[in-house]
Amino acid sequence: MIGVPRPLSLLCEITYRCNLQCPYCYNPLNLAAYRTELDLARWLGAVDEAAEMGVLQLHLSGGEPTLRSEDCVAIVERASSRGLYTNLITQGTFLDDALLDRFAGGGLAHVQISIQGPDAPLADRIAGARVHDRKMLAIKRVLARGDMAFTLNFVLHRENHDRLADVISLAESLGVKRLELANAQFYGWALKNRAWLMPTREQVRDAARIVAGSQERLRGSMAIEYVLPDYFGEYPKPCMHGWGNAFLTIAPDGTVYPCPAAASITTLSFENVRDRGLREIWEDSEAFTAYRGTGWMREPCRSCDRKDIDFGGCRCQAFALLGDAALTDPACVKSPRHDVMRAAVDEPAPAEMVPRRISASVSAADGG
Amino acid sequence: MKASSRPSLAPGVRIRKEGDGVAFLLIPEGVVELGDTALAIVELVNGERSVDEIVLVLADRYEGPDEGLGADVRAFVAAFTERGYFA
Repeated sequence: MIGVPRPLSLLCEITYRCNLQCPYCYNPLNLAAYRTELDLARWLGAVDEAAEMGVLQLHLSGGEPTLRSEDCVAIVERASSRGLYTNLITQGTFLDDALLDRFAGGGLAHVQISIQGPDAPLADRIAGARVHDRKMLAIKRVLARGDMAFTLNFVLHRENHDRLADVISLAESLGVKRLELANAQFYGWALKNRAWLMPTREQVRDAARIVAGSQERLRGSMAIEYVLPDYFGEYPKPCMHGWGNAFLTIAPDGTVYPCPAAASITTLSFENVRDRGLREIWEDSEAFTAYRGTGWMREPCRSCDRKDIDFGGCRCQAFALLGDAALTDPACVKSPRHDVMRAAVDEPAPAEMVPRRISASVSAADGG
Repeated sequence: MKASSRPSLAPGVRIRKEGDGVAFLLIPEGVVELGDTALAIVELVNGERSVDEIVLVLADRYEGPDEGLGADVRAFVAAFTERGYFA
């Protein structure tokens, strides 16, 4: 079809189940609504379709994808055999040598493991489970093998921002070559816990200095990618490189989304691979065409010289914070509602966070 | 880049050839498009051939030694090694 871009990347969220309870998770609050998961045959069908559509990268995530480890291996095998780059995004608690062998045999190219802090007391408190030591073992196993690329991921928020330098030191001592330091993005559970997670201005300022210094010092031995905190900048992130432009996400129940947070936009209806082909959903479904390109934009985006740089920012954020997904992302200084970002930064932090739990998801989704 | 070093694709780096002659290097951070010459070099990198041997294969393929070819290949291999695509 003329005018429809080629999708480059497919995110398969194969389950929302997880043995961790991280409050910064961007999964939707109503996790229980996704309990009926696609079976393996459906996932493999989706991979085949994605390959036909020209997708180059397949990311396996969740929840914790390795709770369906056999299915993950089969998906990796299929995707690799179709020439896709395969990436496993995991918290690593189940990555033993036997499973790594199977992934390697299936052609897995890249593993990303997240940690919640540089040591067990902090990390386990954030994760809501005693898992840090097991995760460290998994990281060491992957690095010792050396047959797949590895990225260490650390999500930053108020409770662990001050430990940033310790995480960089830990990564150095492990021999990590790629480190992703990502400020929490406020969607799903993270949005619910925003006031608890929001870093202070001082933390953000210190982090910029620490990261820049480390990037300089470690050039050539470790690549550090720093994901900026959305609420502190002048311009929004170029979210998904444009809506329906390069990325698609399939949720555990088969619903197809332009991004992993899009389910939060309740004014759109999303289609499911159980009902319709992936290509058709990508090319002409209401959800994917709604904000594709720049034609949907209003002012100040419409006449902005940055509209092809950041694509108006994030639709989910515009909807979550302003109630209209077609508005300029309020993260942009040009948004007439940029004040909501400042107000969120200044909001006092509550003493408690809401742990991500499926059992709690019904009351959490109701605002309880 | 030493002429005797034997580069290989780094772990987690894959070559992807499209039907229409377009080729990509798939890397953890994303996708790098490869031109014809780049693809020719990348396909010869296997951990066994030295940089000199890669130059010889290319010189043979493109008929005749070219003064600049060796330097070009060494610069390319050095750049891809620095970016982490070659080990």
